[in-house]
Amino acid sequence: MSTIKDFLSADHTKCDELFAHMEDVASKSLSDAKEACLEFQQETERHFQMEERVMFLEFETKTGMTQGPTAMMRQEHTQMRGLMSKMCDAIDADNIDKFFGLSETLMILLQQHNMKEEQMLYPMAQQHLSAESEKIIQMMETLIVE
Amino acid sequence: MELSGLSVDQAPPISAPLRFYLTAPLFAIIAGILIFFSESSILMSRYSLDSIVITHALTLGFLGFIMLGSLTQMLPVLAGVIIPKVDNISKISYLFLTLGTFSMLLGLSLDSSTFTTLSIPLLGVGFILMITVISLAILKVKNFNATVKAMATSLVFAAFTVIMGLFLLYTYINEDFAQYRNMIANVHSVWGIFGFAGVLIIGVTFQVLPMFYVAPKFKRFCKKRVVWLISSGLVIWLFTSIFVESYSIIGKAWIATFFWAFSTTVWLKLSARRRPISDVTVWYWRSASLFLTLGSFLWIFDEYFKHEYIVMVAILLGGGFILSIMIGMLYKIVPFLVWFHLNAMGYMSIPTMNEMINKTLARTQFVLFMASLAGFICSFYFPYLLQISAGSFTISMIILQYNVIAPVLIYVKVKKTKPDFDMSMFAKVD
Repeated sequence: MSTIKDFLSADHTKCDELFAHMEDVASKSLSDAKEACLEFQQETERHFQMEERVMFLEFETKTGMTQGPTAMMRQEHTQMRGLMSKMCDAIDADNIDKFFGLSETLMILLQQHNMKEEQMLYPMAQQHLSAESEKIIQMMETLIVE
Repeated sequence: MELSGLSVDQAPPISAPLRFYLTAPLFAIIAGILIFFSESSILMSRYSLDSIVITHALTLGFLGFIMLGSLTQMLPVLAGVIIPKVDNISKISYLFLTLGTFSMLLGLSLDSSTFTTLSIPLLGVGFILMITVISLAILKVKNFNATVKAMATSLVFAAFTVIMGLFLLYTYINEDFAQYRNMIANVHSVWGIFGFAGVLIIGVTFQVLPMFYVAPKFKRFCKKRVVWLISSGLVIWLFTSIFVESYSIIGKAWIATFFWAFSTTVWLKLSARRRPISDVTVWYWRSASLFLTLGSFLWIFDEYFKHEYIVMVAILLGGGFILSIMIGMLYKIVPFLVWFHLNAMGYMSIPTMNEMINKTLARTQFVLFMASLAGFICSFYFPYLLQISAGSFTISMIILQYNVIAPVLIYVKVKKTKPDFDMSMFAKVD
């Protein structure tokens, strides 16, 4: 049985792969990277919403901590959404330096964010939500992105 | 579980690591100037005072400052704990270490027992304070991963290296203990380079290569065993070199083999990385890997040449390996910290990381630094190359100083001019 930590960590890896693919395509031809950029953006958005609309809510209800770690993670999601949107704009403007400048910044922000979640938040969520783990994973899997 | 590391309010303020990062290149500039005014024949001996002063301007001033700054910054992210009162502690430690390093350099250069005596409590308090609070924070870690284990191991070696260093300083005040100087200095340098710096670099590399370059993750064996194997090698080397010197080569070969394996792994991981970008930081990782391989082998061969090449080993390992990695890391960390803190404050119209440091200047700095390392090595055979290499090194470190200040100037300017917050960035992207 998959745990919340395993499920969401595996999703991080999936997003990392899409990110690497996007940069790979962009390094050959920036104009061809639009599709890969949108795919990465959509999958990452899906991941954020799985957390914000399902797991974080369950965690906050269970622990009563609404201004704690989940608030910080939500704020970093906002920072990343801003960068992803600007990356797509850079592709439209055919500005390769801007694109890689943004992707570099996003990469490090994303990785340190993932590390904090995988090291701290997910183990804690698993600990508090172990009884509902299966149901929460199912809710995340069937989520329709808004 | 400790979660305060997740909160930006309680994460280390940007000033905690930056004060260490911004001061470090200054000591390297001083080292470059000192080399310029030295003579090749004097620097050929590792125990000459000139060599000791220059080495410590680099190891204490440059490497020590960057490693401590990085520990304050990385511990919350990598281990999920914060260092209690990190800002105040790092301020006090920074003050003691800066004054202590200058006192030591002056004391030994001018043969002034006043400065040397002063440097002992200053450096002792500065280091012990940081090592103690970081160790206490690590004790609270619940999720002990390979990087945290390496950090903890590195701190143990750091503590021994510092205590031995303080004793060595004391031998310059009280000559009664001078007879132990060379033996202790040998252990101090090997444990400092391989145990403190080497193990810390290995631990951080486990995270940083996959994180910054989407390189393949390190194998479980590597993560679980390498630090333990190197540490046991360092202990074996210690006992053999003190009690049965003829067998110390076993410990050396053991340590060198695992560092060589590590450097090869780094090279291969970089080659297999998913990110196509090849910036100056990748060049630094590549060169660090090469220099570590060369340095490890030369360290073994040096045993058969009456330690004739030990200074060359120090240049390859200290300069080529450790300095390269530290400089490469600075080029990533400083712009990221500036961007992250400004963005978290709500400033959205700010330069990206890549726009904060001039790429041409970073490349120039790299080329001058590499040229200086090659020149230092060649100056063993062609002494007239020493001054020109020292010049190249000094200029490269002045450029490095500028390159790490540039992002901080952007930070100061943005905070001062306070551009309007772009609240649209908080809207969800459809």
